[in-house]
Amino acid sequence: MMLRSVFTKTMYDKRFFILGWFLGFAALAALLVTFFPAMKQEGSLEMFVDSMPPAMQGFIGDLDNLRQLSTYLAAQLFDIRMQIIAGIMVVVLALKLTVGEEESGQLRTVLSLPISRASLLMQKWLAMVCIIGLALSGTAVGIYVSQFAIDESISLSILGQLMLMTWIVMVAFASVTFTVAIATGSRALATIIGILLLATSFVITTFAIGVDWLQSFEAASLFYYFPAVEIAKSSIALKDVAVLLGLSAIMLIIAFVCFRRRDVQ
Amino acid sequence: MNKPPEPVIELSKVTKKFRSFKAISDVSVRVEKGEIVGFVGVNGAGKTTTINALLGFTSPTSGSVQLFGVRISPASAHRSHRRIGYASGDMELPDQITGRQYLRFVLNQSKQNHSERLQQLTDIFRPQLDKKIHTLSRGNKQKIALIAAFVTSPDLVILDEPTSGLDPIMQTAFLELIKSEKERGATVFMSSHYLQEVAEVCTRVLLMKNGRIVEDLSSDQLRAAGGKTVHVIASAKIELPKQHAVQIQTSQTAQGSEVIFVFKGPLHLLQEWLAGVKHVTDVTITERTLDAEFRELYAVEEEEES
Repeated sequence: MMLRSVFTKTMYDKRFFILGWFLGFAALAALLVTFFPAMKQEGSLEMFVDSMPPAMQGFIGDLDNLRQLSTYLAAQLFDIRMQIIAGIMVVVLALKLTVGEEESGQLRTVLSLPISRASLLMQKWLAMVCIIGLALSGTAVGIYVSQFAIDESISLSILGQLMLMTWIVMVAFASVTFTVAIATGSRALATIIGILLLATSFVITTFAIGVDWLQSFEAASLFYYFPAVEIAKSSIALKDVAVLLGLSAIMLIIAFVCFRRRDVQ
Repeated sequence: MNKPPEPVIELSKVTKKFRSFKAISDVSVRVEKGEIVGFVGVNGAGKTTTINALLGFTSPTSGSVQLFGVRISPASAHRSHRRIGYASGDMELPDQITGRQYLRFVLNQSKQNHSERLQQLTDIFRPQLDKKIHTLSRGNKQKIALIAAFVTSPDLVILDEPTSGLDPIMQTAFLELIKSEKERGATVFMSSHYLQEVAEVCTRVLLMKNGRIVEDLSSDQLRAAGGKTVHVIASAKIELPKQHAVQIQTSQTAQGSEVIFVFKGPLHLLQEWLAGVKHVTDVTITERTLDAEFRELYAVEEEEES
């Protein structure tokens, strides 16, 4: 493979990372699809959910959503599992591409070549965005292939929209961690902020359904802008896309300003 | 009237602080085109901090760094890197690719064809190019880093302890390469722990200590400073030469006396002194190593400070 740029080199470096996460997401999606027939049956699940405290019911969501494959996947895969698993993946990825390379000394090696800091940062960010997209696409492949095994189907348009929004929200999470890491060179700070943002977003969105005081903080959660079940029922809201892309763009600008000036270890 | 040529490197009163710690202090250096400059000092002397400022990895707390007449900052350093090759003894290369892929990546950044030069350097260092870099030994990684530094035939080569991972054969090959770079007209700025190595190829030596440049010598001055170690045993009492001699050891015995001293003067004066010593039973005169001189320079500085 010709490694012409930092972008292609980064993509090549992370080929096993992409493959591993792609297969993992495909397997997770396929597993959840194969559970769908059991979920669809009316019965004891309603009784079990009714017996749970209201705050905990956020983990299950509205049981009506379990009747259709699209809303079932939106509620059970995109609204819960993907948020946490993909969230962890993007924080790890952002740290590896920034402070990971700086701590190992590889960032200095690349910066000793005629590559500007602005160009390096942009190429690494674009590579990160592409890696996230490629890894997440395993979910779509897993769903698409396994739906034939249960004799159900999901609209490609809905699947595409869910995947697109997952990608956009994960790029936003990744951009925050990426920016803190590249702007400061501090692994500890970037990890704390990345994980804190992910965890608080998850907690707020999951528990706001049953906890009144959390509802006033809902807009602070990045997952608020990715209402997966609503997307499965109708379509993407452009204002949500604008908020998430806007956050990523602001983060990228901060990263540019800070990284151009600071010392590299 | 022609303007004098711009110096390749110009550091003016550069200070770099890390919180309250001054890593380098008021460092001023001017390096002209074609000079091969050795930059010598012990660990923590400030060599790497100076090189980091030259490459734009860090910005000085005060003072200015210029390369090829242009002021260097972290944001603009890449412009000068088109004319610079860099390698360090502990250089971390991208480890998930092969040496060949890495060198292609380096060449792609220069956007010029250097395949002939690559072949030439590969013939000199004989690196393992088709193995993943993370599987290579330190010495083999170092060979790839050195090839990458020289492959674009840069106007300025900056090296930070470049031979620390090389075996003696490769160290010799490297020193020969530096000599050929000198003939090509390239400027080389090379830090090292080893004064002997630096004295062999450099036209000028800077000695750094505690973040300051304490000596700036031509290589001829450095070699002359080395002197001779003289060891004389005689059955009579021996008086040291009145000039140019630094005593190391003197002992008087019932059988006579023994002296060891360093002589740093014209050799005919040593010959005249030796002719005056009575009842000589043994004489040994050896070239004093530059590393010993290096240690002495450091010791003198320490005494002056205390």
